[in-house]
Amino acid sequence: MTAILILLPVALVLGGVFAALFVYAAKSGQFDDLDDPPERILHD
Amino acid sequence: MSPPTPLSRADGAAAVEAARVLPAGRCPHCGTAVEGGGDAFCCRGCEIAAAIIRGAGLERYYQERRAFAPRPEPAEPGWDRVAVEPGPDGTVHVRLQVDGLRCASCVWVTEQVLQRTPGVAEATVSYATGRASLRWDPSRTDLPALAGRIAALGYRPRALGSAAAADHDLLARTAVAIVAAVAVMGTYEALYAGWWFGAMDPKFAALFRWLSLVLATPVALWSAAPFFAGAWSGIRHRVLPMDLPIALGVAVLYVQGVAATLGAGEGYLDSLTMLVALLLVGRVLESRGRRRAAEAATALVATIPRTARRVEGERLVTVPVESLTAGDRIDVGAGEEFAADGVVTDGAGQVRLALLTGEAEPVVVAPGDRVAAGTVLLDGALTVRVTAVGNETIVHGMAAQLHLAADRGLAPSAADRIAPWFTAATLVAAALTFAWWYGAGLGVALARTVAVLVVACPCALALSQPLAGAAGLGAAARRGLLLRSAQALLDLDRVDLVALDKTGTVTTGTMTVASADDAALRVAAGLERYSNHPIARAIVAEARTRDIPLPAGTEVREESGAGITGLVDGRRWTLRSGGPGTVSLVDDRGIERIIRLEDATRADAGGTVSQLKRSGRRVVLLTGDHRAVARRIGLEAGITETVAGADPAAKVAWIERARRDGHRVLFAGDGLNDGPALAASDIGVAMGTGAASSVLVADGVIATGSLAPLLAGMRAARAANRVIRMNLRFSIAYNVLAVAAAAAGLVNPLVAAVLMPLSSGAIIWGASRVEAAVRRAEA
Repeated sequence: MTAILILLPVALVLGGVFAALFVYAAKSGQFDDLDDPPERILHD
Repeated sequence: MSPPTPLSRADGAAAVEAARVLPAGRCPHCGTAVEGGGDAFCCRGCEIAAAIIRGAGLERYYQERRAFAPRPEPAEPGWDRVAVEPGPDGTVHVRLQVDGLRCASCVWVTEQVLQRTPGVAEATVSYATGRASLRWDPSRTDLPALAGRIAALGYRPRALGSAAAADHDLLARTAVAIVAAVAVMGTYEALYAGWWFGAMDPKFAALFRWLSLVLATPVALWSAAPFFAGAWSGIRHRVLPMDLPIALGVAVLYVQGVAATLGAGEGYLDSLTMLVALLLVGRVLESRGRRRAAEAATALVATIPRTARRVEGERLVTVPVESLTAGDRIDVGAGEEFAADGVVTDGAGQVRLALLTGEAEPVVVAPGDRVAAGTVLLDGALTVRVTAVGNETIVHGMAAQLHLAADRGLAPSAADRIAPWFTAATLVAAALTFAWWYGAGLGVALARTVAVLVVACPCALALSQPLAGAAGLGAAARRGLLLRSAQALLDLDRVDLVALDKTGTVTTGTMTVASADDAALRVAAGLERYSNHPIARAIVAEARTRDIPLPAGTEVREESGAGITGLVDGRRWTLRSGGPGTVSLVDDRGIERIIRLEDATRADAGGTVSQLKRSGRRVVLLTGDHRAVARRIGLEAGITETVAGADPAAKVAWIERARRDGHRVLFAGDGLNDGPALAASDIGVAMGTGAASSVLVADGVIATGSLAPLLAGMRAARAANRVIRMNLRFSIAYNVLAVAAAAAGLVNPLVAAVLMPLSSGAIIWGASRVEAAVRRAEA
């Protein structure tokens, strides 16, 4: 029980952090253009 | 982004070209010939551009670029009126289309100059699309200044709408729903196991319920918001959309879940989160497809230049394309695009019509011939009398059709058609249940009504199509047909008329040498080694496959219309067109040798066509080429019905007529010119080897260089449709039984816990059979 009481909040916080990171990435336009960056490397 | 490294082999010809034209006597920035030689600039604009580039420390651009910059022109007014999007940190953002970027170094220098402008936080320019994304601090610089800087280099910025905002939101909602759904599934597995073995510590059960509620709350209140919005707008417009039962189901499941956590009954938050997550994934895929279609239209119109040189008496005046009117005469030089549709009055030259006809081979034009805006004059010089400008031009008409395709929503799915009945039936059942049990007390009546609404959750109904559709998409994709949406796949099954473009679809789209003797081929290849012309490439490639060493051609000169001459082995040769599909090589004694070329029919075209016909579908060859060529290719591929000489508008008209006659039309094509036909057909399939914009607007893409994936896609569609019909029947039967049981008060938590995953599980199992069904059809 104790282990769960510690691990559950940790898991929730970790999950929340990753979800927040993804939301931030999506809102800052990271996923707007999925076609160009793979080509861009060829021009560098 | 660092400047591009020296050239790869494919760019060899371009490098030779650049080296030949670079020497003195030309403006160092734009390459215009300048009398007197030296390093003189042709104009003040180029001098300023060079100063900006040197000032930013980007001199390398001049060594590494592969194309001259266009001549700088002042930026158009009106940039202060372009809407910008405020960002979170006080910066503003805008997306622009930049025209005239001809090489990787051009992109690099534009990007660097912008990034080094004070106040600019972020600047990226896409080489593939010419799209620029700018973010800056509005207190330090502004859009007119930034647009002016791009224009000062010689490149032409144009305003683009900002279309990405809504997508960000949807992606974020989807991600949250997926994360929560996976976690809630885990906790519910523990709860179900607890029920099954009947020995769960109540403290744990309560903990897991609270945990699920915490995770499911953002999903129900935030991720599912689009469904509530859709349901609400449906109600206001007096229709019952699929969103309504979903919204109702989500609402009831969530309220029930909250009540369960507080100790009243059982919750089904796992069903809720998974439903929302899966449905949102489907929406993300759909919105991406629609945005691509809109961008294809933008790219098409970008091929029209913004200015034209108008003949005014004895003078040539550069005017914006908007001020041209029908009847004006404009001058067009080699390498320029036509700014308007018109008729040639003077001069001669070769025009590449790929934009309109899909044929890569240049066409010779002379006075009296018609030319179209956006096509390129490869060589020569023309005076053109304008017949149509702006929205009247052919290319604008094509773009308008693409926009229509972008706006056209997906056809209503089978589930969408059932949704209103489903919703109505559920509501009626709930009302009847409440009325029936009212006599037994309000508490009992409410409990039974909620039970009915919960078990009638449209999980199975809403999932039946996406899952089987996804399985069908996967089966088709493994066989080389990539489809944009599940609906496109399902529609494939109903196609009864297959219209095929010729060049690049039924044929390979590349010239190959059909017959030539080794000696002639060797000389021709020596003359053509540095040329990028399709015929030149075919000759050199054939010499390579025959392992003939390429001789060095010297004094090689290419003259428009007259062909190519040069010295090989000390003798002078001339290579020129010898009529359709042939070139003739003439030596200094006048002896002529013929090299025959052809655009070969794809190896699997005959087999695919005969199987399509055997499945009861009509097959038509729809091409812009001459009747004789169309007949020959049709004969080779086994297509008896051919429509020749059809330009893009005629193709669209033909397809629309067939659709009005009740046919469901699939069109497969590869060119930029096929875009409107792809959009006008029920299903448009582009060849992956074709023009990028035809790929963007199509419902599907054939990834392999063959036609057989069309058949595979139709088999996958048939299998997926069969499974979906079965799923729908099953989910309706399930709902009728479950609602009846719930109304009778027979549904207890354990029954519901088993029934709900079972119904979804049966649908997943059905979807897994799609691949097997396709394999059986192939055997």
